[in-house]
Amino acid sequence: MSAAQIRFATLWRREVNRFMKIKKQTLGAPLLETFLYISVFGAALGTRIKQLHGIDYVVFVIPGLIMMSLSINSFTNNSSSILQQKFQGAIQDQLSSPASPLELLLAFTFGGFMRGLIVSGLTFIVASFLVDLPVDHILVLIPSLFLVGFFFSQLGVLTGVRAEQFDDVAFVQTFVLTPLIFLGGVFYSATLLPQPFETLTHFNPIYYMINLVRYGFVGFSEVSVPLSLLALTAATAALFAVNLRLFSRGYKLRA
Amino acid sequence: MPEDALRIENLVKRYPTGVEALRGVSLDIAPGELFALLGPNGAGKSTLIHCTTGLAQPTSGEIHVFGHDAIAHYGEARQAVGLAPQELNLDWFLTVEETLDYHAGYFGMPKRERRERTEELLETFSLTEKADERTRTLSGGMKRRLILARAMMHRPRLLILDEPTAGVDVELRLELWHYVQRINQEGTTILLTTHYLEEAEQLCDRIAFINDGQIVGEGTSSELAARYGVDNLEDAYLALVGRNELSRSKIEVAS
Repeated sequence: MSAAQIRFATLWRREVNRFMKIKKQTLGAPLLETFLYISVFGAALGTRIKQLHGIDYVVFVIPGLIMMSLSINSFTNNSSSILQQKFQGAIQDQLSSPASPLELLLAFTFGGFMRGLIVSGLTFIVASFLVDLPVDHILVLIPSLFLVGFFFSQLGVLTGVRAEQFDDVAFVQTFVLTPLIFLGGVFYSATLLPQPFETLTHFNPIYYMINLVRYGFVGFSEVSVPLSLLALTAATAALFAVNLRLFSRGYKLRA
Repeated sequence: MPEDALRIENLVKRYPTGVEALRGVSLDIAPGELFALLGPNGAGKSTLIHCTTGLAQPTSGEIHVFGHDAIAHYGEARQAVGLAPQELNLDWFLTVEETLDYHAGYFGMPKRERRERTEELLETFSLTEKADERTRTLSGGMKRRLILARAMMHRPRLLILDEPTAGVDVELRLELWHYVQRINQEGTTILLTTHYLEEAEQLCDRIAFINDGQIVGEGTSSELAARYGVDNLEDAYLALVGRNELSRSKIEVAS
């Protein structure tokens, strides 16, 4: 391995090691939460709402839950990891190393992505035991999950870098992400909403992400799949470019 | 003629708040030298160190480490520098052994070499028994040892010690003095900041006074005393900060 590869692997390993050391909190809790969602919305509500767009309600909900666990865990990991390291000053050890801004950014990104992937992968496995979950369009599903994970990892990095206290991270997660995810159609179809809420849902970017993942699993989407993929790719690339610029300038990282 | 270990030219650091922490600092440290930088709190010592190690971005000026530009082409320069900061900036999630291993990884050191070097430094700093303990459980003295071991991990040619003996007991302070002298004799150039003047006097070849962001005096201990027209380094320092009335020569000895 070259020195650059060793650097990147170590930076990434540090991120994975961090969440694996507190896996009850970082893996166990999100899994339990998802299981409770499946139980409440699938088993309880599913007895009232049999099907949505010809798909069993619980099967309709699960792709959204997988997307939700991927996004929230990718985001939370990076925002809290960066803020904690800034808080402890431990990030100085990485910042004073020869690692480039790109290496640092990618390592943080893939650390969060890995946590999101593990939680959402376990959610998929558990859900597959509970219901017959199809995978209709794997060639849409894989890039969609990759892009969603990458997007929220980047958002976590951005939030962690900008944050000066833990409240700043909690604010984004509680008052921005959670409402957008819940109102993005994880548990329902936007077509069931009265106006103007149906139209408003189309302004929620997470609505398109949920539909992409849902299309990958069950082959149903309320939006254009190619356009949504294109928009998500563009948004992810733009966020990555912003973060790279912040890392290169040392924004709130270097004095 | 060999390159200077550290060459700083006309370094200016102005923070966004408008505070000018460094106002045209120039400094040369020869390879193999043990150099002390003394000055009151807020004089600019830590800012100078942060600029050298990439933790702060200079407003203008040049920094070269063994001939490598530490600002524009920082990779080689940072590879040559080891920093033991004033703050105990350890990662709470890591064990003692991981702290050393990860640091070496950030500097691109291969696995086998990392393992051997970790064992060597754990032994040198009497940390072997603590290898598997998390850093947050260590005493202040142990944390200080670990920070010094971490700075040495990648075999830097220039070691920067920012107040390494602040808050440590007499035994550890003397232990660190012996170690610093030994590695200096083995060829490592050392830049030391300290508030203990006897430490600088005992250990260092040359001393510079920094005050209000400028180097105001440089030379051996006796040269600095002569420059301020006093008998010793401490009185020279007191003259620098305008507190001559505090000189020990003016304290009455108890009978």
